[in-house]
Amino acid sequence: MLTFAAFSVRRALQGLWRNRVMSLAATVTMVLMLLLLAGLLIVLSGLQAGLSFVEQKVDVQAYLYDGVPQDRVQALIAQVEALPEVSAVTYTTKAQALADWQATLRARGQQDFTAVTGTNPIPASINVKLREPGVYGTVVDVLQADTAVVQRVDETQQVVDALITITNVLRTIGLIMLVMVGLTVLFIVVNTIRMAVMARADEIEIMRLVGASDAFIRWPFIFEGLFVGLIGAAVTLLLLGLAAGPISQFTSAIVAQVPVGFDQQLGVQLVGLVVGAGALMGGIGAWISVRSYLIR
Amino acid sequence: MTATLEPAAVTSRPPEPDALRASLVLHDVSMVYPNGKRALVDVDLVVPRGDFVFLVGPSGAGKTTLIKLLIRDVVATTGAVLLAGQDLARLPRRQVPLIRRRIGIVFQDFKLLPTKTVRENVAFALEVTGTPRQHAAPVVERVLALVGLSGQAEQRPAQLSGGEQQRTAIARAMVHDPEIIIADEPTGNLDPLISWEILQLLLRINELGTTVLMATHNAEVVTALRRRVVALEEGRVVRDEVGGYHREY
Repeated sequence: MLTFAAFSVRRALQGLWRNRVMSLAATVTMVLMLLLLAGLLIVLSGLQAGLSFVEQKVDVQAYLYDGVPQDRVQALIAQVEALPEVSAVTYTTKAQALADWQATLRARGQQDFTAVTGTNPIPASINVKLREPGVYGTVVDVLQADTAVVQRVDETQQVVDALITITNVLRTIGLIMLVMVGLTVLFIVVNTIRMAVMARADEIEIMRLVGASDAFIRWPFIFEGLFVGLIGAAVTLLLLGLAAGPISQFTSAIVAQVPVGFDQQLGVQLVGLVVGAGALMGGIGAWISVRSYLIR
Repeated sequence: MTATLEPAAVTSRPPEPDALRASLVLHDVSMVYPNGKRALVDVDLVVPRGDFVFLVGPSGAGKTTLIKLLIRDVVATTGAVLLAGQDLARLPRRQVPLIRRRIGIVFQDFKLLPTKTVRENVAFALEVTGTPRQHAAPVVERVLALVGLSGQAEQRPAQLSGGEQQRTAIARAMVHDPEIIIADEPTGNLDPLISWEILQLLLRINELGTTVLMATHNAEVVTALRRRVVALEEGRVVRDEVGGYHREY
């Protein structure tokens, strides 16, 4: 068994090296596919995180004009609290909103420009928690009606809907692209291994004649395919590792306030997915190739 | 080496005891290729263990087909081919490699790997059948000594003469200590002197107990040795007797 494994691995590496231009092409396309796959996972999980973050936040948020008298605000709060759909109403002052914002910036390690300007650009807000998510009733209308107090109303549902739409579109486009690139990778792996098989046609003939079992003839090529996949996966993970920092900043800049990052779970998922997909594509491609060539 | 009859190979019509002891038995073998060409017709042949047999006949007589049958490259259309007591037609696919390890095959064109040395070419046959290196090494040295190539073990085929290349191929055929050596025109590419050298080697291997079946066109050799000669013509065995290349009346 050990002899077999050592033999297969040695032959596979030999084969990769002998046929290095084709091996390189296969590995590069493999990396491309795996990057696409990883990118899709990252973006989708980022959107998912954003979605659940938004969903658990307050349901309706009304931003107020600066300098509105407190009694007007309290009156509006009382009016909203009286609505049957509402479970709780909280009021965030300008100072508190600024403090929250600054805390978020600190947590993200970004610079706090509000300290430089010395003014407070963040509006105060009334935050409404609904009894049942999505059942708004007249809450939004009541808030918007008080145009002297309320500057703008954010309905979380709109954000949620938008996020779901974006997620679905991205997932569909991503999967289509993934399938197309995947087929290309498969095609190239199949051809790479077929060339490797053809380069060894004499050896295979001799192996058959001296009584080598099918496993000894086939497995080196399967290993060769697996190696293409695994090397591709390693390169992909290396690239992702190098890009992790910049991407992390980039995504959190886009989806502000949402704690998207490379947490450990996503990291484990990514490694598993990239290595698994690479090995699978390499192995399947090689298997197809060897099967169709060594039919006897 | 003893020939063991495995249960899987027992046919519904058990072969006679003689057949079990024989290296090779062909019974009523016919071979028709898909294109309709009848390559062999009702061939009966028994080669006892330790025999030395020449297989002669003009091109297209069926020699190559017969050899392909013996290494189970093809399966007979009808009839039974028994090698070391095993019916090749009934052999499960997985066991084909095992039976091939009991056959040493030698070709006219040597079929050596140009990038490997003599020693590596010989060791290759053991390597690809899963023999651990430490077990393979002494066997390789022994067969290299047998064919007289111990001194050239590190050379590549291109550095060798034709005779030395063929001796390398014979060494490779011998590493599994085969039941039978099947040589397909082993001297076809060699000049007369070297041909004799190869023949001497095959005779020596035969004296050590291995059955040898040699297909050849070399009338001089066949006639001089006066061994058993099986002549094929148009797919039939037309002669099977001790004697020369051509029929002696």
